Order: sequence, then C-alpha cells, then structure tokens
Amino acid sequence: MKKLVSAPALFLAAGVLLVAGLLLAFLYSPIDASTMGYSQKIFYYHAPIAETALLAFGISFVAAILYLRSPKPKWDHLGVVSVRLGLVFSVLVMATGMIWGRAAWGRWWDWEPRLTTFLLVCFLYTAYFVLRSVVEEEQRRATFAAVFAIIAFIDVPITFFATRFLPAGMHPTVITASGTGMPGSMFVSFFISMIGMTLLLVALIRRDLGVEDLRDRVADLKHSIGG
Amino acid sequence: MTIEEGAKFVAAAYAIILAVLVIYYFMSARRVNTLKRDVELLEQEVQRRLPTAGESGD
Repeated sequence: MKKLVSAPALFLAAGVLLVAGLLLAFLYSPIDASTMGYSQKIFYYHAPIAETALLAFGISFVAAILYLRSPKPKWDHLGVVSVRLGLVFSVLVMATGMIWGRAAWGRWWDWEPRLTTFLLVCFLYTAYFVLRSVVEEEQRRATFAAVFAIIAFIDVPITFFATRFLPAGMHPTVITASGTGMPGSMFVSFFISMIGMTLLLVALIRRDLGVEDLRDRVADLKHSIGG
Repeated sequence: MTIEEGAKFVAAAYAIILAVLVIYYFMSARRVNTLKRDVELLEQEVQRRLPTAGESGD
C-alpha cells in the first residue's frame, strides 16, 4: 500500500517534463504568427490538460466495464479516482480555454461544438458524484456509478471529434489525420508537456488509489472494533 | 494584440493551472497523512483490545 501512496519518482518525472515543456514553450518555440500572437503560449498546457482529462474519463470507462464484469472494489476505486481527476483537469481546461478565448476571439465563451460538448462532459461527470452521494449501499452505489460512467463516456469521443466532424466551430484542431499542423519547434514543447501531464495523471491516480485503500482500511478497523 | 497584452492572459492561465494543481496535490497529501494517522490509531486500539478480550475469556 505504501508503494501506491507515494510515487515520488513519477511525480518528479512529471514535474521535470512539465517544467522542461514550459521552458521550451517560452524560450524555444516561436511566437505564433497568426492572429493569436503571444497568447498562443497557453496552448502548451491547455491542450495536454484537455487530452489528459479525456484520458482520465477513458480510464474510468474501462474501470466501469471491468467492475461490471467482476465487481471488485479496486475497479470502483479506479473509476471514482479517474473521474475525480478528470474533473479537476476539466476545470483547468475550461478556465484556461476561456482565457484563451478572450485573448483569441475577444470573448470568454462561445456556444460552438467543442466548448459545448466539453461543458456537457463536465456536467455529466459532476452528476456521477451526485449519483454516488445518493446511493447508500456500497455495492449498489458502485454498480450504478459504473453504468453511469459508461453512459457518460459517450460524450467523450463526441467532444474529441467535434472539431473534426463539425469544422464550423472556432476551436482549432491540433492533431489531425494529416499531422499536427504546427512546426517542429512548437511540437517538441507540446509533446513534452503532453507526456509530463500524462505522467502527472498517472502519479495522481496511483496516490489517490492509495487514499481509497487507506479509507477502506480505516472502515475495516472501525468495523472490527465496533465503531 | 501586443506581447504585453498577450502575456497577461498567458500569466493568468498558467497561474490558475499552477494554483489548482498545487492545491490538489497538497490536499491529497494531507488526506493521506490524516488517513495514515487514523489507521495507526485504530490499529493501536485493536491491539489494545485484543489482550483484554483474551483475559476476559480466561
């Protein structure tokens, strides 16, 4: 359990990569020549955070399927931890996206496909916690949450492909079938930040799983002493 | 948009990211410490009760 709670090597690796990505973004990558100019620097964390949020929801989707196939607490724990972290990253995506939108488009918000579907993702996964909070019995709560996580995940690929299938929106598409659409010096910074953010997610998932294990241990001990 | 104007937006975005991630990290670390302490105390309590139960059974 101790190994799960502390994952210093992962945190360190994530931190080093994130700092390196940021330094490269500001010192190596050129200032965007389009209308965005300097504010495009937000992209180097905004896009990796968005991809990481969607990855976290993907993990919760897999955990939900695994739980329904074999109802073990570890899959429920993985599901709840992934959704929680996905929501934290989603809040960051929305906040940085709004700042970017204000700088690039002159307004904080636009009801265009990518933004709208991402907002829906946030609402759906917030509802996941509302659902968990209203079901008392542990196993029923985990089963309902798993089913809900599978349903909620339907919106994730819609969000990801919104800018590809509905190109009328204002949100740019970073990675397409034909490539990344950015020069190599930008891509390096973006890629390093992306790896760093993914490692950060893995490190946080590992530690939060340790927290869930500790919670279970506390509950078991309380039960054993009749508390 | 000038570099100075853009820099304000960039600084705001990165400040929010840093703040949220740092707050989450430390909240999570605090939760771990609290739970570890609870486990320790409860395990001590279980150990304390075990001999008592044995003695009462003799």
